[in-house]
Amino acid sequence: MNAQPLKTELDTQRHALAGQPMSGADVIVQVFADEGVEVLFGYSGGAILPVYDAVFRYNALHLKDNGDESMPLIVPANEQGAGFMAAGYARASGKVGVAVVTSGPGATNMVTPVRDSMADSIPLVVICGQVASSSIGSDAFQEAPISNIMGACAKHVFLVTDAGQLEATLRTAFTLARSGRPGPVVVDVPKDVQNTALSFHGNGELALAGYRARLHAVEQAALSDADCAAFFAALMQAKRPLIYAGGGVIAADAATPLRVFVETFALPVTTTLMGLGAFDTTDPLALHMLGMHGTAYANYAVEDCDFVFALGARFDDRVAGMPDKFAPRAKFIAQLDIDPAEIGKVKPVHWHHVGPMTRALERLTAYGRAHGLCPSLDAWHTHVADLKRVHAMNYDRDHTLIQPYAVLQAINRHTDGRAIISTGVGQHQMWAAQYFDFRAPRHWLTSGSMGTMGFGLPAAIGAQFAHRDKLVIDVDGDASIRMNIGEMETVTTYALPIKVVVLNNVGDGMVRQWQKLFFKGRFAASDKSLHKKDFVLAAQADGFAWAQRLERPDELEATIAAFLAFDGPAFLEVMIDPDAGVYPMVGPGASYAQMITGDFIASRNAPSTQETTASGMF
Amino acid sequence: MNHTLSILLQNEAGALVRVAGLFAARGYNIDTLTVAATLDPAVSRLTLSLQCDDVALTQILQQTRKLVDVLQVAHPATALAA
Ligand SMILES: Cc1ncc(C[n+]2csc(CCOP(=O)(O)OP(=O)(O)O)c2C)c(N)n1
Ligand SMILES: [Mg+2]
Repeated sequence: MNAQPLKTELDTQRHALAGQPMSGADVIVQVFADEGVEVLFGYSGGAILPVYDAVFRYNALHLKDNGDESMPLIVPANEQGAGFMAAGYARASGKVGVAVVTSGPGATNMVTPVRDSMADSIPLVVICGQVASSSIGSDAFQEAPISNIMGACAKHVFLVTDAGQLEATLRTAFTLARSGRPGPVVVDVPKDVQNTALSFHGNGELALAGYRARLHAVEQAALSDADCAAFFAALMQAKRPLIYAGGGVIAADAATPLRVFVETFALPVTTTLMGLGAFDTTDPLALHMLGMHGTAYANYAVEDCDFVFALGARFDDRVAGMPDKFAPRAKFIAQLDIDPAEIGKVKPVHWHHVGPMTRALERLTAYGRAHGLCPSLDAWHTHVADLKRVHAMNYDRDHTLIQPYAVLQAINRHTDGRAIISTGVGQHQMWAAQYFDFRAPRHWLTSGSMGTMGFGLPAAIGAQFAHRDKLVIDVDGDASIRMNIGEMETVTTYALPIKVVVLNNVGDGMVRQWQKLFFKGRFAASDKSLHKKDFVLAAQADGFAWAQRLERPDELEATIAAFLAFDGPAFLEVMIDPDAGVYPMVGPGASYAQMITGDFIASRNAPSTQETTASGMF
Repeated sequence: MNHTLSILLQNEAGALVRVAGLFAARGYNIDTLTVAATLDPAVSRLTLSLQCDDVALTQILQQTRKLVDVLQVAHPATALAA
C-alpha cells in the first residue's frame, strides 16, 4: 500500500509501548485495546490463529480487578452470529463493534452482517485472516477474494499487503467506521503479516487525503444566518409542519437536541423504523412510526402536513414507495443529513444542510429563539391528537386465539419502553415496532434496510455485552430464529439473562401475508405446519432453565410476568393466531391515502378495491 | 446523455475494482475507461464515460465521492458550464 502514515499532531503523547517489538497479531490486539475495545466476537481457524493467540496472551496479562478478562472473545455458532453480535453491540452502545474471523468460509459467513451494517450505517471493524501473501491468488486452501467481495458491501476494505502499514491501517479502520456516515470496515490480514516481527508505534493513521478532506468539509459545515432565515421563513408560513426522523438522528447522538428543538417549536415527530427511540414514543407529539407498516395516524399526518423536516432519513422505499405521492401537500421539504448523496436522492427538497446533526439542530433552535420565531400550531396539535385517538392501533381483542399484539402490549406494560428489544424479520418485527414504546435511542435493534432474518438472537447477545445490567429481549419469529438457532447455546454458554420470545405463527407469516394479498393465497414454501421442531425442548437442550410454551390467552399475563421476572436466560414460545396480519399496510405502489387499515383500525377512506380483492381471494 | 468523468484515485489494492463495482452495482454501464499514471506514483487518473441523465449523474458523482480511495471526482462538462 502506498498511503503514507499520517503524522499525528502530538508526538509528545508517546504511547507507553512505543518502540516495543511485537508481532503483527500483537499489534492488532494492542490497537484494539487502544481503541477501547471491550469485547470481541469471532470464530477461530487456521488463518487467524496468530491473532487468537495474541488475544489469549493479552487477556492472561490484563485481568480486571474482578478477575474478568479485559477483552473477552465471544464465540458464536456461526460467523454470521459473530457479525450480528458485533452489530448488536454497536447498535446498543454507539461504539464500534469488532469481529475477528478466519479466511475463506469464516470471512464469507461474515458477508451478510457486513452488508446489513452497511445498509443501516452501523460501525464495525471486521478482521479477517487471509492466506499468506505468497499464496494469494493461487486458489489456496480457505482462500476467498475478500477484498473484492467485501469491497462491494462494506464502507471500506483494506487488504494489508505491507506489514509495516498494519498498525496505521487498523487504527484508520476504526476512524473510518465511526466517522461521517458510520459503516463497517473490513481488514483482510494475511497470515504472514500477523506473524511479522514489527516495532509498535503507538500512533499514526493512513493519510486518505480524499476521504479526510471530504469529511472535514462536512464536519465543519455550519448553517449561515441566511440558511436559518430561509428555514424559518418557510416554517413560520407552515400550518402543519412535521418532523420525519430517521436512524441518522440516533447515529449522530442527536436525540437530545431533537427533543430541545421539539420542546421549543412543538413540531410533531414521526420516525422511521430505524429512527424508533430518537424521540420518546410516549410523548404527546410523537406519532410513532410512518411508512408501509407505520401507524395510521402517522401516515395520515404525513398526508396532511404542509412542511416536512427530514432528519437523518432517506425517503427509502418502505417510507416513500411512491416518492411523488409522499407528503403530497408539503409545500416545503427541508432535509438534514451527514451524507451529501442522500440529499434529494429520492425526492427533491427545498432546503438542505449537510453537516453534523447536533450542531445544526442547536443552531436552528438558537436562531429561532433569538428571533422569537415560533409557529402557532394549536389547530395542528388538535388535529394530530384527533388522528392519534381516532386512528389508534387496535386489533381483535375478543379472538379465541392469542393475538401477537396482545403479547407485545403485555411485555411493554412491564418494560415501559426501557428494555432493549431486538427482532428477526417479518410480521413479528413490524408488530414489535408498532406496539412497543421506546423512550430513548439504542433500545431498538432491528435489521432495517437489509431485513435479515436471523438478526434478532445474535444482536441481543451483542447488546447484552454492551449493557450487562439491562433487560434485553429478542422478539423473534419461528422462521427467523431458525436462521441462527445455534446462538441459543451461545446465550447459555455465557450465562446471559436474555429473554427470547418466539411469536410462532407456524411459518413465514410476512410471506404469507403477501401471498394472501398478491398470489391468491398460494402459500408456496411459507407454511411450517409439517415441521417437527419442538422449540421448548430445543431451548432446554441448549441449557435454558426457563423454557415454556404459551397457548392459552387466559395464561398470557401470568406467563409473561414469570418469563420476564426469571433471573437468567429464558425462552418463551407463544402460539399466536396464524392469520394475524400486519396493519396498517401501504401496499407496494400505493400512496398513504390508499393505506389498508384492516378491520380494527379506523380508516379515513371507504374500503379500497385492493382490500376487496385481498379478502375475496380464497 | 453522454458524460465523461475524471477521477483521481489512490493506488490501493482493489481501488479500481471498487470504482468499477460501484458503477456496476448501481446499474451504470461504463462505455469507456482509461487508467493512467500521474506524476504522483501513489495516484492514478481514471477517465470514464457513460450514458445517463442529469439526475443519475448527480447521484453517481456523489456515490463515487463516498469511495474512500477516491481523491477527487470531476465532471469536466459541468465544470465548464458552471
Ligand atoms: C435471510 C432472509 N431470507 C428471506 C427473507 C424473506 N422474508 C421476509 S419475512 C419472512 C418470513 C419470516 O418468518 P418469521 O420469522 O416466522 O416471521 P413472521 O413473519 O412469521 O412473524 C421471509 C422469508 C428475509 N427477510 N431474510
Ligand atoms: Mg412466523
